[in-house]
Amino acid sequence: MRIKQHPIIDDYGKGAQISFTLDGKPMVGYEGDSIAAALHAAGIMTHRYTAKRHTPRGVFCCIGRCTDCVMIVNGQPNVRTCITPLEEGMEVQTQYGVVNREQWEADHQ
Amino acid sequence: MMRHDLIVIGAGPAGLSAAIEAARLGMDVAVFDENARPGGQLFKQIHKFFGSKEHHAKERGFRIGEDLLADAEKLGVAVHLNATVMGIYEGREVLVKHEDETVHAKADAIIIATGAAENMIPFTGWDKPGVIGAGAAQALMNLQGVMPGKRILMVGSGNVGLVVSFQLLQAGCEVAAVIDAAPRIGGYGVHAAKVARTGVPFYTRHTVVEALGKDRVEGAVIAEVDDHFQPIPGTEKTLDVDTICIAVGLSPMSQLADTAGCDLVLDRKRGGTVPVIDEYGETSVPNVYCAGDAAGIEEASTAMILGRISAIRAAEKAGFLGAAEFTARADEYAASLSKLRRGMFAPQNKGRTDMTETDEGYPLSKSLLAHGFLEPNEVSAFPCATVHEVGVHPVIECTQNIPCNPCQDACRFGCITVGDDIVKLPVIDETKRCTGCGMCVASCSGQAIFLVDEAYEPGYASVGIPYEFVPVPKAGARGHALNRAGAPICDAEVVSVKYTKAMDKTVLLTMKVPAEFASEARFYRD
Ligand SMILES: Cc1cc2nc3c(=O)[nH]c(=O)nc-3n(C[C@H](O)[C@H](O)[C@H](O)COP(=O)(O)OP(=O)(O)OC[C@H]3O[C@@H](n4cnc5c(N)ncnc54)[C@H](O)[C@@H]3O)c2cc1C
Ligand code: SF4
Ligand code: SF4
Ligand code: FES
Repeated sequence: MRIKQHPIIDDYGKGAQISFTLDGKPMVGYEGDSIAAALHAAGIMTHRYTAKRHTPRGVFCCIGRCTDCVMIVNGQPNVRTCITPLEEGMEVQTQYGVVNREQWEADHQ
Repeated sequence: MMRHDLIVIGAGPAGLSAAIEAARLGMDVAVFDENARPGGQLFKQIHKFFGSKEHHAKERGFRIGEDLLADAEKLGVAVHLNATVMGIYEGREVLVKHEDETVHAKADAIIIATGAAENMIPFTGWDKPGVIGAGAAQALMNLQGVMPGKRILMVGSGNVGLVVSFQLLQAGCEVAAVIDAAPRIGGYGVHAAKVARTGVPFYTRHTVVEALGKDRVEGAVIAEVDDHFQPIPGTEKTLDVDTICIAVGLSPMSQLADTAGCDLVLDRKRGGTVPVIDEYGETSVPNVYCAGDAAGIEEASTAMILGRISAIRAAEKAGFLGAAEFTARADEYAASLSKLRRGMFAPQNKGRTDMTETDEGYPLSKSLLAHGFLEPNEVSAFPCATVHEVGVHPVIECTQNIPCNPCQDACRFGCITVGDDIVKLPVIDETKRCTGCGMCVASCSGQAIFLVDEAYEPGYASVGIPYEFVPVPKAGARGHALNRAGAPICDAEVVSVKYTKAMDKTVLLTMKVPAEFASEARFYRD
C-alpha cells in the first residue's frame, strides 16, 4: 500500500503513472518507483524461488546487497529490483532459480 | 587511470563531510558511492537529530543530507554514484566498478567511509518474504512512499529499532510489539517513550523464534529467553503480523580496509572488526584513513566530525594546510566530538548495565529500560518533570544523560538550561515566565517536553503534546488521553493545534483533561 499522507514527507518525487507487466499481467507504478516498490505497493511479496529448495524470497535489504529481490527484467535474470528504477513497458517475471516459470516447469518435468 | 589528491569511499555523512573539508582546502577530491543516491543513511532519517547546534541538532536527518550535498556541489566535489569500490591496492590505487565498467583511480590519500551493514539473526522462516531489515523498511516508507506492511513486529530496541518503529507509525502502519533479547531497551529512553505512549508494547528478554506463513509472513512466534539468550519452552506467544522487521545492530564495513592491508582489531565497543586507527582516523597503512560507522558504530553527528578530522590530517600531510592551522582545527573538532561522546550511551559505556543514577544523582528509571515508559513514582524523582508553576509551563521528561540541548536554544525566555555539558539534564528556571509558545516542545529531538497548565479551567488542566501524525485532530475534537504506557485514561478535548514553520512539522496539540490527569495524560487519540 502507498502512503497517502505523511506528517513529515510532503513529496516522494513520483512522476507519471507507468504500465508494466508481472508474469504477463498488467500492473501500474509511478516514475520514481523502484521495481520492488511498485510490486510491494501492489502487495506482491515473492520475487523469486530459490534454485535448490524452491522457497520464496522477497525484498530484504532494499539497498542492493542481499540479492533476495532479484527477478527477470526484460528477459535479463538476476536484476536487483530494489535498486532498479521502474520503466514504462518493463516486462518483469518471477525468477525460478535463474529462469522463468515456464522454463522451470519444462526443466523439471 | 584517474589521479586525485584525495579519494573518499562512501558519500554518507562521514564521506561527504571529509570531501567538503578537503575541497575547501583546495584538494582535488573524488567521492565514490555504490548507491544510486548520495547521503548514506541520512535520507532515510526523517526525525530530528540530537546534539547541539554545531552538530545540526533538531534538524531532521534528510535536511542535514541536503545541506551536505549542497555544500559539496558548491565546491565542485565530484560524487560518482553507482560506483562500488572493490578494493584498495598498493600505492593507494582503488578499483571501482562503475555500472558495467571497471576503472582504476589513484590518490595521495584515501578515506574509507563505507558505513555499516545490518546484522541478522537466524530463526525459523527468517528468509520468508515479509522478513525485512530495518533499513529496507526505511527505504520503502521514507524514500519510496510505500508501507512495508500493515502490522509489524520490530525485533531490536536499539535506537534504530525505536526510530524505525516510530517512523512505521508515522507511515500509518501498526507496530504489534518491539522485542529485545536483552533485559533492557538498548536505545534512548526518549525514543522508546514516544513509541510506548502510542500503545506499542515492549517485550525485553524476548526473541523471535519463527516466522509463520506459507509464501509470506502471516504471523510471528516470540518467546522469552533465559540468561543465555535461549528461548524458554512454554513461553511462546503468537503475534498477528504480516511483517517482521529486524534491527539487531550494525557491523562496521571494514572489508576495504582489509584489502588495503590495514591492521584490524575486533572491538565490541566499536561494533565489530574495525581497522586500528590513530586520533585522526589514519590506519596502519600510511595515508589510508577510516571514518564514520566503518571505523566504529556511532552517529551521523560524530561521523561528520570524524570525516573532517581525517580530511584535515590528509590535507596537512599533503601540504594543503599549515601545521598551526591544522592543530587549531584538530583541537576544535576534538572538542566538538568529546561533547557528543559522553553520557550513558557513549561508546565507552556500551554494554554497561551497572549504571543506576544520572550524573546529577537522580535514580534512573527501571521501567523506562524495561517497558519504554516512566512510572509515575519514577517521574517524581526528576525536578524538570515535576514543575508546578502557576499558569502554563514546560514539563520535561528527559531522564537520561544524552548529548542534546535544543530545548535550551529553543526558549527565548530563558526557562530551560542545559549548560555547557550537553549530556546534563535540562533544568527549568521557575522564575522565568513561560509564554506557552511551544518552541521547546517542537525543538526537542526526543519529543519529551509537554506544556501543562494545571488550572486551565476550574476542574480541568491543559496538556500540550508534540504530535507528528496525520491527520492532525482539529480544535474541538473529542477523544481520549493516553498515559505514558499508551493506555486510555480519561476523556480529552483538543483545545488548540499550533503549527508554525519554525516548528518544522512538529505540531503542538493541546488537550483539556480533568485536572487530576494533568501529570499522566501524554498522548491523544480520537
Ligand atoms: C534508523 C536510524 C536512525 C538514526 N538516527 C540517528 C540520529 O538521530 N542521529 C545521528 O547522529 N545518527 C543517527 N543514525 C546513525 C547515522 O545514520 C549513521 O551513524 C551515519 O549515517 C554514519 O555515517 P557514515 O558516513 O559513516 O556511513 P553511511 O551513512 O552508512 O554511508 C556510507 C556510504 O558508503 C557507501 N559504500 C559502502 N561501501 C561502499 C563501497 N565499497 N564502494 C562505494 N561506496 C560504498 C554506502 O552506499 C553509503 O552511502 C541513525 C541510523 C539509523 C539506521
Ligand atoms: S513554551 Fe516557549 S516560553 Fe515556554 S518554556 Fe517552551 S520555549 Fe520557553
Ligand atoms: S529535553 Fe532537551 S535535552 Fe532532552 S531530549 Fe529534549 S531537547 Fe534533548
Ligand atoms: S532487497 Fe537486497 S538486493 Fe534487493
